[in-house]
Amino acid sequence: MAKRAGFTRKSSASEEIPSSSMADIAFLLLIFFMVSTVFRKEREHPIEWATAEATEKIDEKRKNILHVWVDPEAQVFINDQLVPYESIAGIVRPLYAENRNLVVAIRGDRDVPYAQIDAITEQLKQSGAVRVTFATRIEQRVQRARR
Amino acid sequence: MAILERKERVSDEIPTASMADIAFLLLVFFLTTTVFNEERGLPIVLPEADQEEVDVSAKNLIFFLVQPNGSVVVRRGESEQEQVVSADQIEDLLRAELAANENLIAAIKTAPTAAYRHMVDVLDQVKLSGAERISLQILEE
Repeated sequence: MAKRAGFTRKSSASEEIPSSSMADIAFLLLIFFMVSTVFRKEREHPIEWATAEATEKIDEKRKNILHVWVDPEAQVFINDQLVPYESIAGIVRPLYAENRNLVVAIRGDRDVPYAQIDAITEQLKQSGAVRVTFATRIEQRVQRARR
Repeated sequence: MAILERKERVSDEIPTASMADIAFLLLVFFLTTTVFNEERGLPIVLPEADQEEVDVSAKNLIFFLVQPNGSVVVRRGESEQEQVVSADQIEDLLRAELAANENLIAAIKTAPTAAYRHMVDVLDQVKLSGAERISLQILEE
């Protein structure tokens, strides 16, 4: 034990966290979040999501995605506006003409009758916007087994 | 005049000690308001309205008839025989069928009164089986 004394060095490192660099760290993180943030433009509608194991991430720019909400009362909302079924094609057509890469994401409540969803897809076919995704949440195998 | 003169005690430097607090405050604000671009779902391409009808030979068709209660009737194109399956059996069934015939088209016909999630369950299974050619239709009575 006495031998070890030869190795002791006077520690010059301060015991305190250096607070001068804290601002730099914080600003770095801040800039990251400022750059990556996108404010929500649209109101989220309270729906029960359908779940699917095969759920994929849609790699499409935000501006290329159009959300079509179908709430539990089977009302359709596009860009926060209540839209009657028969005028969906009329609304989507100019949007599709403007942006040929448009993907329509149907965010439907899981208990809506299929007739409503079919009415929407029929309207979308007429408008020409044929790239559609049925927005779902990932379902785990475990969850499925439990059912 | 000499009486009115005061010693200037205000520092002319920006106080750096509070800088971290300000930065963290802004940071927390952006952390809580940020929404990462997350779009998930089952992609599908619909047929175009003005597309001419294509005759598909019956042997290349397999129908999944989704009933209002969520059960699924499988009907193969050529033989009219029907088979009732539960949604989670479809993946294996269709995979076997696709191995035998890779041109197979999976047609999902959903009853108008069936809940949307029943259709999603079937579409999910069809996607899992690796089928590329999928058609969505409504089941007429």
